[in-house]
Amino acid sequence: MQEKQPIIEIKHLTKVYRGSDVPAIDNISLDIQPGEIYGLLGPNGAGKTTTISILCGLFDPTAGNIFIDGMEYNHSSEKIKSIIGVVPQDIALYPSLTAKENLTFFGHLYGLKGKNLRNRIDECLELFGLEKTANRKIKTYSGGMKRRINLIAGILHKPKIIFLDEPTVGVDVQSRNVILNHLRDINKEGTTLIYTSHYMEEAENFCTRVAIIDQGKIITEGKPKDLVNSKEEYTDLESIFLHLTGKALRDE
Amino acid sequence: MLRLLSSIYKEFLVLIRDRAGLAILFLMPLVLILIMTLIQDATFKTVKEASISMILVNNDHDSLGEAIRKGLIESEFFQIVEEIDGEKISEEQAKDAVAKGKYKIGIIIPERATEAIRGNVDALINKSFKTYSIAGVKKRTKKSSIDIIIYIDPATSHSFKNSVMSSLKEFTSQLEIKLFFKNFSMAISEMFPDQKAIEFESFETIKYKEVYASTTNSEILPNSVQHNVPAWTMFAMFFIVLPLAGNIIKERDEGSAFRLKTMPGSYVTVMFSKILVFLGVSFLQFLLMLMVGLYVLPAMGLPQLEIGPHKLALVILALASGLAATGLGVAIGTIATTHEQSSTFGAVSIIIFAALGGIWVPIYVMPHYMRILSQFSPLNWGLSGFYNIFLRNGDILTVLPEILKLLLFFAVMLMIAIGYNKIHRSK
Repeated sequence: MQEKQPIIEIKHLTKVYRGSDVPAIDNISLDIQPGEIYGLLGPNGAGKTTTISILCGLFDPTAGNIFIDGMEYNHSSEKIKSIIGVVPQDIALYPSLTAKENLTFFGHLYGLKGKNLRNRIDECLELFGLEKTANRKIKTYSGGMKRRINLIAGILHKPKIIFLDEPTVGVDVQSRNVILNHLRDINKEGTTLIYTSHYMEEAENFCTRVAIIDQGKIITEGKPKDLVNSKEEYTDLESIFLHLTGKALRDE
Repeated sequence: MLRLLSSIYKEFLVLIRDRAGLAILFLMPLVLILIMTLIQDATFKTVKEASISMILVNNDHDSLGEAIRKGLIESEFFQIVEEIDGEKISEEQAKDAVAKGKYKIGIIIPERATEAIRGNVDALINKSFKTYSIAGVKKRTKKSSIDIIIYIDPATSHSFKNSVMSSLKEFTSQLEIKLFFKNFSMAISEMFPDQKAIEFESFETIKYKEVYASTTNSEILPNSVQHNVPAWTMFAMFFIVLPLAGNIIKERDEGSAFRLKTMPGSYVTVMFSKILVFLGVSFLQFLLMLMVGLYVLPAMGLPQLEIGPHKLALVILALASGLAATGLGVAIGTIATTHEQSSTFGAVSIIIFAALGGIWVPIYVMPHYMRILSQFSPLNWGLSGFYNIFLRNGDILTVLPEILKLLLFFAVMLMIAIGYNKIHRSK
C-alpha cells in the first residue's frame, strides 16, 4: 500500500489517570493510513480502551497530540466527531426503543434526515439481516442481534474512520462472520477501521496492521504476516502475543 | 433543531415505556397530596371521632372534680374512663395502665381539691376584708396547694400533652374565679345587706376577632388546602430528581452516553432535551395537583383551592420550580456513579430541602440559625412564592425574587454538572 498522509497521527501520547502513578498510556506514537484496518491488541488493562477513548474525544490526554484527518480535538472537535463512527464494547442503545427508533435517533444526531435516513436504515438493516426485526425493542434481541445493531448505529452516517472496541465479543460464529464480512466491505469502500480484540486469530485474518500494547506501551507493530515471519518460533499472532506479554493472568 | 426534536421524542418514548417510572411520576404525587391534605385537614375531626380514651380518677367528688369531668366530656375529644369491670380505678391502676400504653393520659384529682381552692379563696377574701366576719367565709389565712397528677404515656406527642394541660388549666382557673366571685359576692352582701348578691356569670368582655391581613381586597381565606397543596406540590415536583438522575445513570450504564459523547454536539443536546422533557413532566405534575386542589379535594369535603387572579405568575413560578428540580436531578445524575447513590442522596437531599423549606414545620417556629439555613432551600423559595400568590394575592413582581432564586439554583446546578464533566474528561 502506498503511504499517504496518515488519517490518524498519534504523537507521544501519554495518559495518567488522576490518583494513579502508573501511566495507562506511556508515550505512544503511531500513524494509521487511510483505508487500513488497524488492530490494537493487548491483554486486559494494556491501554487499548484508553487509547480508543482518547481517539474518540472522550478524554483529554495528559501529554502528546493526536491528529484525526489532520485535525485536533481542541480546535475541531465537532468536525472530527462528524467523520468518525464508534462501536463501543457495550451495547450502547436504548433497550426500550425498537431497532428502527434507535437508528432514527442516532441518525438524526448525525444530521441525517428524511428519506435519506430511512433508506440508509433499511439498507443497513438488510445488510445485517435485521430487516424483519426492525420494529422489535432492543431488549428482546439476542446477543448477536444486539452486536449487529450496535455496529449499524456506528456506521449509519458512513464515517471516514470507525473505531471498533471488541465488536465481536460474545457473539456466535454466524453473527461474527456477518459482522466481519460487512466490515471488510465497508473498508473496501475506503473507510479506515481501528479495531481492538482479544481474538488473535480473528485479528490476524482481519487486520492489515496491528500494534501489540502492554502496560501502556507499544511493544511491537506491523503487518500480521510480517510479524509472524519475523522469528522462527512465531507460528501465529497468538504465539507472538503470548511471547511478548507473558502467560501470567492479567486483571483490569 | 432536528437533533433537539429527535432527542425530545426519544426521551418521551423512553419515559412512556417505563410504566413503573410513570406511576412514580404521576400517581405517587397525587397519592401524597391527597393523603397529606386529608390527614392535616382532618386532624381535629379525627381526634373527635377517635375519642381518645383517658383515665380520670376523681377523688375530689366536689366542684373541681366535677368541673374537670364535665369539661373533658363536653370537649368531645376524650372518652373518660373511671371504672374498670365496674370498680373505681385507683391511682396505682391508672399509673400502670398509662405506663403500659393502654391509655394516653390519666388524671388524678386528689381528695379535698375543691376544698383547697375554696380555702385559698376564703383566705384572699379574709385578707381583703380583715375587719369583717363574713358568714359562709371561713376564717382561713393560710394558703394551701393541691397537686393534680397527670400520668402521660411517654409515646404521647408533645403538642397533644400541651393541649390537654392547657384545657385542664382553663377548667381549674375558671373554677377558682367562680368560687372567688361567689364568696366575694357573699362578703359584699354581708357588708351591705341592701345589696343583692351578684350572680356570677362569665362576662367574656374580651373577644377575639380573627382577620387575615391583606394589602388587597383578596377574598382568599387561608385553610389547610391553601397551605397544603402548594407545600406538597413543591415536595412532589422535586421528587422528579430521582427518575431524572436515574435516567442519566442508566444511559451511562447502558453505554448510550459513551456513544452520545462521541457524536457531534449531541451530548449537550441530549441533556437539554432531558431538561425540557422532565420540565414538562414536572409542569404536568403541578397541573394535576392543582386539579386535585380544585376538584378532587372539594369532592372529599375539603375546601376548594383558590388560585387567585395571577395565573401567569403561577405558571412562571411553577416552571422555575420545575427547572430548579431538573437542575438538581442533572447534577445528581452526573455526579452519582450508581443508582443507589443517586436515589439515596436524591431522596435525602429533597427531604432536607423540604424540612428547611418549611414543608413540615413552619419556618417562623424554627430556631434562628435554622431560619438562616432555610433561606438556602429551593423548596422554601417555591413555597414562599406559591403562598404569595395563593394567600397574599401576589403578582409576577411579588414573586420575582423567588423566581430569580430558583432560576439561579438551576444555573448553579447545571454549572456543577458541566464542571464535573470537564473534570471527569481530564481525569
